[in-house]
Amino acid sequence: MSPVAHLYLHLPFCSSRCGYCAFVVNVGALGRRDEYLDALLAELEREREAGRIGALQTVYLGGGTPTLMRPRRLAALMDRIRPHLAPGAEVSMEANPESVDGPALAALRRAGVNRLSLGVQSFQPHLLAALDRAATPAQARQLMTCARAAGFEDLSIDLIFGIPGQSAVDLERDLAEVLAAGPDHVSWYELELKPGTALARAGTPAFDEDEGADAYRRIVGGLEDAGYRWYETANFARPGHECRHSLAYWSAADYLGLGVGAVSTVGGERWRNAAALEGYLAALAEGQAPPRSREPLDADDVRRERWMLGLRLERGLPLVWAGPPDRPDALASLSAAGLLRHDADEVALTREGRFVQNAILHELMDYA
Amino acid sequence: MDQGHIRNFCIIAHIDHGKSTLADRILQLTGAVSERDMRSQVLDSMDLERERGITIKAQAVRVHYTAADGETYQLNLIDTPGHVDFSYEVSRSLAACEGALLVVDASQGIEAQTLANTYLAIEGDLEVIPVLNKIDLPAADPELHGRAVADLIGDDPENVLRISAKTGEGIEAVLEAVVERVPPPSGDLSAPARALIFDSVYDQYRGVVAFVRVMDGVFQKGDKLRCMQTGLVVESEEIGVMAPVMTPTGKLAAGETGYLVTGLKNLGDLRVGDTITRVAEPAAEALPGYREVKPMVFCGLFPVDADDYPDLRDALEKLSLNDASLRWEPESSQALGFGFRCGFLGLLHMDIVRERLEREYDLELLATTPNVEYKVTTTMGEILPVRSPTELPPPTNIAMIEEPFVRCTILVPSDGVGAVMKLCQDRRGVFVTMEPIENRQQIVYDMPLAEIVLDFYDQLKSRTRGYASLDYEIVGYRESHLVKLDVLLAGDTVDALSMIVHRDEAYTRGKLLVERLFRTIPRQLFDVPIQAAIGGKILARETVKARRKDVLAKCYGGDISRKRKLLERQKEGKKRMKQVGSVEVPQEAFLSVLKIGDDGNGK
Repeated sequence: MSPVAHLYLHLPFCSSRCGYCAFVVNVGALGRRDEYLDALLAELEREREAGRIGALQTVYLGGGTPTLMRPRRLAALMDRIRPHLAPGAEVSMEANPESVDGPALAALRRAGVNRLSLGVQSFQPHLLAALDRAATPAQARQLMTCARAAGFEDLSIDLIFGIPGQSAVDLERDLAEVLAAGPDHVSWYELELKPGTALARAGTPAFDEDEGADAYRRIVGGLEDAGYRWYETANFARPGHECRHSLAYWSAADYLGLGVGAVSTVGGERWRNAAALEGYLAALAEGQAPPRSREPLDADDVRRERWMLGLRLERGLPLVWAGPPDRPDALASLSAAGLLRHDADEVALTREGRFVQNAILHELMDYA
Repeated sequence: MDQGHIRNFCIIAHIDHGKSTLADRILQLTGAVSERDMRSQVLDSMDLERERGITIKAQAVRVHYTAADGETYQLNLIDTPGHVDFSYEVSRSLAACEGALLVVDASQGIEAQTLANTYLAIEGDLEVIPVLNKIDLPAADPELHGRAVADLIGDDPENVLRISAKTGEGIEAVLEAVVERVPPPSGDLSAPARALIFDSVYDQYRGVVAFVRVMDGVFQKGDKLRCMQTGLVVESEEIGVMAPVMTPTGKLAAGETGYLVTGLKNLGDLRVGDTITRVAEPAAEALPGYREVKPMVFCGLFPVDADDYPDLRDALEKLSLNDASLRWEPESSQALGFGFRCGFLGLLHMDIVRERLEREYDLELLATTPNVEYKVTTTMGEILPVRSPTELPPPTNIAMIEEPFVRCTILVPSDGVGAVMKLCQDRRGVFVTMEPIENRQQIVYDMPLAEIVLDFYDQLKSRTRGYASLDYEIVGYRESHLVKLDVLLAGDTVDALSMIVHRDEAYTRGKLLVERLFRTIPRQLFDVPIQAAIGGKILARETVKARRKDVLAKCYGGDISRKRKLLERQKEGKKRMKQVGSVEVPQEAFLSVLKIGDDGNGK
């Protein structure tokens, strides 16, 4: 099995669960952090022994709230990863404004983290409250300044639109805050009311299509006007600041995910570590592989995933790589409708097409 | 048994007034069914009948009862269908009896259907025994309803029996009244044998089984028999009675009811209402009252999944085995693909067939708007039957269109008269009469059947809080100003959505139709204009705007599989849509058009 160049590390601890969150997180288990670090390092070692870790182009520390691991543990983790990093590797970490401060950021920067993704979500207090976010807008602004001071040259912020109670004015304010803060990269998602989340259980009404479309189009336009490129469905970057780790996902590259609930896709096979913390800790403490579920991917799965992922990108997808669509006839009609451009080698969505990427995907492919 | 000890009777009752429960009690009391075997509503054997509490197929059950006079009598209870769609079958069941129990709910009183069937019984010279059921209910008003029932049949209120089939109170008295008041049959045992077919079923092992009432003479097992109306000759492979399961007796004599196994494979060959006689010694005259049952309501049934077409055909074939009045023939639609145009006795019949196809045969169906059979006179003087809007000739070739009218009898409490009259007027009804019956009004309107088959009954019920009851009979064809209303999606006519409507209603219907489709057709990648038109003239238009946003918000390494599966689920959902030209139309859109009859204010 060929070694991978992209590594994801899941750090699941949180001090509380947010109303929209459906990730694998552990609340109230902070006492297990040392054990978890040991387990994670043990899993890393197993993968290294198995020859699966190559020269790492990108590393991503996600959560949870990775910063809750504290600089001491994160530095220990980075010490073990550093030998695998390729020159110029991107090392990203997620951070929440309330769980980190200037000195901590400086320590992370020294440990080798060179890209920071700040979970701001909104700058409006009532919208943060609707999402159960603990941080204040002031903390978010403060953190941006601290991150720059700590030497981070790749700074991203995460925002959400479609929050219950969000008006057009709220959106304009968030947009203005983002532009004023001037991050290098912005991820701006529509709120997904995933089943099982507190917001979904509360019967929160989602944005209707037109409200969502207005907000989405305003965000795209506003950021583009300020010099950001809309390089992926929900991601914007100043040229040269795209997230290389995410680009690996969207290019359907192989990646290794370590930690509870983490997913890996290597050589046509995908597996997911079980989500339960206890099972993960126990297995690795006993020198075993963590409990996993496996999902083989056949040629059609791979082809359909490439289309699903590739069409998210502004640059489009090379046909020789993605394989033919299930319904090639649709290319002509979609092209005539001004929704995509294609030639013998490449398919890319037009700007208008990118707003309805999912519907186009269904025209081209049979997901069965 | 001599005819003097035989009583043939049936039960006339409105749905839910307790006919089946009373029948169960009679079987129990006479020991025909043991306590242990007692399933509630033994006579209603189909699941759907049991569930809806209605009887679709009539049957005859024989029990023996030792009366107060010490004599043992043979009682033949003939079950009757309880719905307007099956009124011909009801009339044949009544023709097989000398008496009828008129069962009325003591809390609700007489309903329109009961009224109609009671008149049928009186016209047929049956002894009608009035029975008030459910006297145990707190809302029961036996005084009021007892008087009304007595008035209806010209009897003394004293003679109205008061029972509770649920608790068993008064059942003996009912049986005593049957023995005392229902006249015994008076057939001529020595005359050439004649029997009336009042029902038939298809039995998987025996083939077609006829339920008969022997009027004269004797039938034996092995007799060669002739159906006098159709000329069909069959052999009586087995002969017997329902007690309540099939019990061979070898013969049936004048005055008795029972069954005949005919060996026929096709239920449609044997006609309810026909007279059976012996080939060897034929009767001179058939029994009166036979008529051919013709379907009144038609609609197209199409499988949602085109691959289910052969299954739909098989299912219709199987249903036809036991439902001779169901008609069907292949039909193809540009919009809906291959399906069948089906003919039904009425709306309930249509509902039941659709429900059985979906439930028992696990088929997902799309049904077109039901319509009646029109008579079109062309400018060339030809008369064409038209059972589907697509069969209508171009307007320039039509000299006249006629449609079937029915006489509707509606019983409603006085405070509902206004609502009922408004509804009837709105549905092109022509007022005939109104008169009080007990504490209610009987309103009679002549109405186009087409107006009834949409959702008239539902509307009647909802506008009178469930208190109105309806009966109708066909009164013939009348000329109407009818036009074909077409629906265009993205510029193309959708044949399955065309309907024949009155010219005065075309604009309102068209507008409503377009609004309904507008609300149910999801946004697509391009604008979808929806238009209603007569000929080339557009009456109404809406446009479903193209989608402006459809993306999966996030997709990272951890949820690639989940997103792919989400796409698979979305695809599954799209399978439930019909591709009509370039437009994806959900099943609900077709259903919403079906409900076009209501006024759009909700139910």
